[in-house]
Amino acid sequence: MTMNFFAPFCIPFMVGAVVMAVALVVKYARWIYELPRADKKLMLHGIFTRRSLEAIWEVFRESLLHRRIFKVNPLLGYMHMSLAFGWFLLILTGWIEVVAYLGFTYVPLQGHVFFKYFATGLEEHKPVFNFLMDFFLLMVLSGVFLAWCKRLYSKAMGMRRTTRHVLGDRIALSALWFVFPLRLAAESLTCAIYGGGGFLTGSIGSWLSAHVGGAVLEALYEPSWWLYSISLGVFFVALPFSRYMHIFTEIPLIFLRRYGLHPREKESSFDNFEIQACSRCGICIDPCQLQSVLGINDVQSVYFLRDRRYKMLTLSVANDCLMCGRCETKCPVGINLNSLRQNSRDTMRNIPDESRYGYLASVDRSEGEGRVGYFAGCMTLLTPRTLSAMERIFEAAGEDVWWADRNGGVCCGRPLKLSGETDSAKKMMRYNKELFYKHNITTLVTSCPICLRVFKEEYALRGIEVLHHSEYILRLMRQGRLKVKADGGKFTYHDPCELGRGSGIYDEPRAVIEAVGELLEAEHSRENSFCCGASLANTVINDAQQLKIARSMAAEFAQTGADTVVTSCPLCKKTVTRGTTMPVKDLSEVVAEHLA
Amino acid sequence: MAAIEWGFSINRPRVIDVDRNNLRKSDEILLEMPELQSCIGCGACTASCTAGNLTNFNFRKVHTLVRRGEYQGAYEEMNKCMLCGKCRLLCPRGINTRGVVMLIKRKLGDF
Repeated sequence: MTMNFFAPFCIPFMVGAVVMAVALVVKYARWIYELPRADKKLMLHGIFTRRSLEAIWEVFRESLLHRRIFKVNPLLGYMHMSLAFGWFLLILTGWIEVVAYLGFTYVPLQGHVFFKYFATGLEEHKPVFNFLMDFFLLMVLSGVFLAWCKRLYSKAMGMRRTTRHVLGDRIALSALWFVFPLRLAAESLTCAIYGGGGFLTGSIGSWLSAHVGGAVLEALYEPSWWLYSISLGVFFVALPFSRYMHIFTEIPLIFLRRYGLHPREKESSFDNFEIQACSRCGICIDPCQLQSVLGINDVQSVYFLRDRRYKMLTLSVANDCLMCGRCETKCPVGINLNSLRQNSRDTMRNIPDESRYGYLASVDRSEGEGRVGYFAGCMTLLTPRTLSAMERIFEAAGEDVWWADRNGGVCCGRPLKLSGETDSAKKMMRYNKELFYKHNITTLVTSCPICLRVFKEEYALRGIEVLHHSEYILRLMRQGRLKVKADGGKFTYHDPCELGRGSGIYDEPRAVIEAVGELLEAEHSRENSFCCGASLANTVINDAQQLKIARSMAAEFAQTGADTVVTSCPLCKKTVTRGTTMPVKDLSEVVAEHLA
Repeated sequence: MAAIEWGFSINRPRVIDVDRNNLRKSDEILLEMPELQSCIGCGACTASCTAGNLTNFNFRKVHTLVRRGEYQGAYEEMNKCMLCGKCRLLCPRGINTRGVVMLIKRKLGDF
């Protein structure tokens, strides 16, 4: 049987498919070509390992099934799954169907896509395929229907707010919404005239042939296929330049991430994969306290990534972020939102200055001789109770301590790095690192999670173990060097962003609190805990706005019935204190009060 | 005739003439950060300053001079700041001091 696989209505689809293919190939080839040498090496080393297989499995889970969106909300997950997986199954089953009818012969792309149009002359029908194709079409249509509903009432899908889209996205979105209803119309009309079809297109077709005149059906037949082809073509042309770029980009992103690539301190080509893998779903909007508490609507990660992608990023958008990481934990694509924002800030603000911080050279105000170093950090010097509590704890444990900055020291460098002045921050980091080595410490304890994070991530302190004081205190208690007595006090705990989401330390402070009293969890704790609002990452919001965030987050602590709020970050302590009337204490204070 | 060495010299006048200074940059800074006008000059920022503890960097002095149009050397002075943020926590008027440092550096980079 020979079939003709061309009709004029195919042209919009074919043009769209070619434009999309060329745009995708050009984009990906350029990004990979421009990858830093080290990233290319990682890629080559990873390709022929198990990681590629793991990546394939992850692509199936995340790009087709959207497991992570199901975790946000089942209905939202189903909506994305039905569109992505449903469409994928339609294409796959369509190809199998063509093979089943025609055997292994060459069929051009449009022949597969518009098979129902070209295959009207088939003698025998295969009901299995009719059923499957209709079933998957219904699955996709249910997703489209849910997408329409989401526009009207997003709360039903667990989203209070959705993204405000730019014009290009709206065009692509509209085209996508029309693709499947138009496909249904075209196939049903074909069934009405030529018969065949499954429970969906077949039934509609026979209803149409019974109720609508043959002349009308003939008149609608060709235009319906034209419209279907045009909607596909428009969508394909818009895809590489709109949010729908995520459909394909998530796949190379998953592979590259498995090979160990990640956004760097400076902008690099890999960032393109992350930025364009953003689907602008807007799941990052609801967790953002700048949105929920302050009503700031244009700085969330989705808008930041969009602005950066279209090269219209402003300093005020890049800087207006607490970098608390709440959105990052929710992102269904797993984009490193904080790292990307930070290297944007670097691009906008980093001004290398060799002479800067020349005054550090002669500074050494440290004291003590111990192998255990204690770095209080700027913020701890501003909360002297934490410092004196740590002094008591060290004394009680009989630890010989080298005090790095009790008499004034140099900042760890993270605040400057967060503001984008990466190269200058390096100077402070180098200074502190040399200071630590000079005094031969083997353990470095700090009370400030901001310092902790930069010590762990940037300093590369070989031979020196870096501990937060919560980890250190727990270790002393477990070793029996620190004895505490419980007195039945009721505590609630605030997870500092840099300690919890930033460094993954949730359990140690809790274990310490449970050793001295009862721990009552607030509604939002651990990964979901709120930011206190005073984050050093944000240099835009003013004092009143910070206070508003502090009050909104501290309101939960009163509901726990606890007597005292405990935190383990000096900056959080200062801020939470402003937001509540309850007493707020650092973890070390609580321990020092309960020393046996 | 050689001048007699009395051991004294004449200081240059230290009066700031706001009328003669170009206040355009200063106005721009105040427009972007109006809260800076609520500064009472208490000096808490300078007292707590990590960089001020190690050098003669004086945040209160620098931003006060900048507001009066004295831009000379302000950028270099502000570069001593470590942006650690203690001053912001202490400021009784809740001024976004870190924002001020970044803004002054952005506006006065070429002075």
